[in-house]
Amino acid sequence: MRHLTKALAFSLAVAAAFAACAAAATLAVGSSKLSAGNATVSACTSSLSATRNVSNAGNVTQVNVAGIPTACSGETLSVTLVGAGNAALGSASATVGSCGTTCSATLTGFGTVSAASVNGYSFGLTGA
Amino acid sequence: MRFLRPTPRRIAVLVAATIGVGAGAAYAASLSVGSWHLWAGSQALTKATCTLGASATTDTYVAQGSPGTSFGTNTTMLVRSNASSQDWSFIRFDLSSCNIPATGGADSATLTLTVTSAPGNSRTITVTPVLSTWSNTLTWTGAQSLSYGAATTTFATGTTTGTKTATVTVDVDNLIKSSTANFGWRLSDGGSGNQTTTFGTSQNGTAANRPQLVINYEK
Repeated sequence: MRHLTKALAFSLAVAAAFAACAAAATLAVGSSKLSAGNATVSACTSSLSATRNVSNAGNVTQVNVAGIPTACSGETLSVTLVGAGNAALGSASATVGSCGTTCSATLTGFGTVSAASVNGYSFGLTGA
Repeated sequence: MRFLRPTPRRIAVLVAATIGVGAGAAYAASLSVGSWHLWAGSQALTKATCTLGASATTDTYVAQGSPGTSFGTNTTMLVRSNASSQDWSFIRFDLSSCNIPATGGADSATLTLTVTSAPGNSRTITVTPVLSTWSNTLTWTGAQSLSYGAATTTFATGTTTGTKTATVTVDVDNLIKSSTANFGWRLSDGGSGNQTTTFGTSQNGTAANRPQLVINYEK
């Protein structure tokens, strides 16, 4: 039984050590999601701007985002049309394709949104 | 209790299993943190209105019955449906005074024309973007060699004089984004019969009869 006791004690010590690592890693994940500028979450750009096309009825038909850095290629770009009171009027997303000097993306499918009611755009870029 | 008896093999299995579970948890957590990019931003838009009147307008009409004559200094312009003697009107506006950047866009654009002499029956006027350059010395012959886009919109003249409006948002939005291609519109009547609609031009003596383009835009 003495051998068994020693073995169990050693196993528990090893398990505790890895559990501590895992707990620390889990804590780091949670805090990164909540913190802007955490060193473990980087960004491929610092700004974006968009233009949009309209139908003759004045509804947004597509949003064009140009000048995206090539570092963002392959990432998912989300654009939200923002109205009065920061209300979300419509959203769409697209994958930033391969590109030359800079990338561009064309987003459609915002629904029926009057261009006159759009006061701005909100962007999001996520990816590996 | 025989199964609890420690043997070298059982001890090795127990230690290996413990290490494996702990190491797996730590590895998965660090992978998910280091492999993602994340960025969020916004862009605010400024809204404004620009009204263009006579001083920014070039207009004229051409007559199939007088193919070499220009009418660029007339105070009225005609649109006639007669298949063998049509009249087309042309109008464009200089958007430069609006100072709208090419990154802006039209939220809405309305062309207002005044019918100074109405047809006997209401006509449907077709508004077609012109894709090549012209001046107010344009003739019917010259108009045949211009390039035209797909018709943007139509509007009804009614049978009384007064203002008529046409929504030209998509054309003006395109003009804003490509300021070198502002060639305005052709007004035509492709209907049957021989009906003439007369509009006031930018040189009309009555200011209220002159064409106007109102652009609500963003930048």
